[in-house]
Amino acid sequence: MSAEEVVVSVDQARCVGTGLCAATAPADLELGPDGRARPRRARTEALTEVTEAAELCPMEAIAVHLAATGEQLAPNW
Amino acid sequence: MSLDHTDPSAAAPLVPLHCLRAAEAGPPTLTELMTGTPVWWVRRHADVRQVLTDPRLNRVDLFAPDAPAITAYPNILDDPDTILNIDGADHQRLRRTVQRAFTPRAIERWRPWVASVVDDLVDSLAGAEQPVELVAAFTRPLPVVVISRLMGLDGLDLKRLSHWSDHALSASAYTPQAVQEAMLDFGMFGAQLMAERRRNPGEDLVSSLVKAADEDGEVTELQIIKLIIGLVVAGHETTMTTLGNGLVFLLTEARQAWQELAGDEQRAATVAEQLLRSVPLGDSTVSPGLLRRAVADVEIGGVLIPAGAVVAADSFAANHDPEVYPGDWRQGLLAPPSTPHLTFGAGPHHCLGAWLARMELELALHRLARRLPELRLAVPVEDIDWRRGLVTRSPQTLPVTW
Ligand code: HEM
Ligand code: HEM
Ligand code: SF4
Repeated sequence: MSAEEVVVSVDQARCVGTGLCAATAPADLELGPDGRARPRRARTEALTEVTEAAELCPMEAIAVHLAATGEQLAPNW
Repeated sequence: MSLDHTDPSAAAPLVPLHCLRAAEAGPPTLTELMTGTPVWWVRRHADVRQVLTDPRLNRVDLFAPDAPAITAYPNILDDPDTILNIDGADHQRLRRTVQRAFTPRAIERWRPWVASVVDDLVDSLAGAEQPVELVAAFTRPLPVVVISRLMGLDGLDLKRLSHWSDHALSASAYTPQAVQEAMLDFGMFGAQLMAERRRNPGEDLVSSLVKAADEDGEVTELQIIKLIIGLVVAGHETTMTTLGNGLVFLLTEARQAWQELAGDEQRAATVAEQLLRSVPLGDSTVSPGLLRRAVADVEIGGVLIPAGAVVAADSFAANHDPEVYPGDWRQGLLAPPSTPHLTFGAGPHHCLGAWLARMELELALHRLARRLPELRLAVPVEDIDWRRGLVTRSPQTLPVTW
């Protein structure tokens, strides 16, 4: 396992379905048929894209954690 | 089922907005817009959310050559270069150029400054001779001053601005030619602003928007200009309306909540959120909801909506859907809504300014209640003179004493 691996999660109760995250990190986030965003894979290395998505989300519904330690990387305000 | 299109001015005195009852949530039904165009009226929370998030329903096709008439008068919100009328990848591109400036965190940085604007307004009205007229002294200037500062428009001529917004959506009051001239003039203002901030960028929102759009390279000049002038006014009418109608409720029927608002900002934020959910912006006479057009056959709430149909997402009804929000909203003012409400819409066009509007409302209510806990209306509620727009209705004047 690479040290760069991160886990993306979406709080679906907060998500208002803008699709901004899916447009920003299409390999890692998509809109489900219920109009709510969801991760596309369990882990990813695309830290730049998912961080951008987490920071753009108008509902702060996305979190990015380091897979190895669980440390929250984004949003990191 | 059909909407009541009779002119409300001919009827009995208008009731305050918080006394209007939302339509019952049920499956989509066919009704008509004011233009006579058939429209699918969608009311359940889940269905409204679907209409606003499903890519098979969009804004751009509302203005396609084959589209039926949705408004009786040409108006600014029909402009094809306006962010609200762009969809898909083009919309995402444009939206991303401004989104960063409007995230909850970005807006939070403006809190001390928004609070100082609110405090200045409260100070000067609290020192004035009673009765004070709260629309002129508070609800109308607040959103204008805030957005002017964010956009670096400190020298903006407010008379010119109100001329533009008076013409923007006003139906019969002006000739189509006068409306067109006003909008052209407003567009010129936006174009000059864009050019100036491109040459001389500052820390303001316009500069960052122009920079982001230039870096992207595919956002068109016209889209930037329309976004700039849209941002100047998008929050005026809406924020003023929400605040004015909220005050009518709090100062008459909810005096207990008014006292509690003064307590802390968090409580004020909760009350603001519940008012946003519960009190509608207007009477829904022109349209029963936010409009979209189906680009393919789509099933909503068990009903097949055919491609080409116009659909209205009634967020007022959805915000009172008993499946999602059981109980009387008046009893729940001090607890946050369990599920996000739909007053700011949902999906790609979810209100860009939602967090700014929330902050303005929260601080306005909190600071006013803290300073003037005994604030009350100086006229009976039946005597309120209403400002009636196409979509909104709010007090024209709100005389108060304390
Ligand atoms: C209480 C105040 C406000 C309310 C109730 C409100 C409501 C809405 C609604 C319902 C929409 C979506 C319309 C649709 O989907 O058909 C919207 C979009 C929008 N709002 Fe607001 N708004 C408010 C304040 C503001 C403020 C303060 C700003 C600007 C600073 C703003 C800027 C926008 C923009 C730019 C859009 C279009 C977004 C897009 O198409 O991507 N709004 N608003
Ligand atoms: C980005 C562009 C804009 C957006 C997203 C926007 C959004 C909105 C929204 C959501 C409403 C509430 C009505 C509804 O729910 O349908 C509204 C009302 C209004 N807006 Fe805008 N707006 C924009 C541009 C403008 C411009 C350029 C003007 C004037 C120059 C303007 C003037 C008004 C007025 C006067 C109302 C009250 C409507 C009525 O009740 O008659 N808006 N706007
Ligand atoms: S950006 Fe946020 S609100 Fe929008 S779809 Fe993604 S998670 Fe949902």
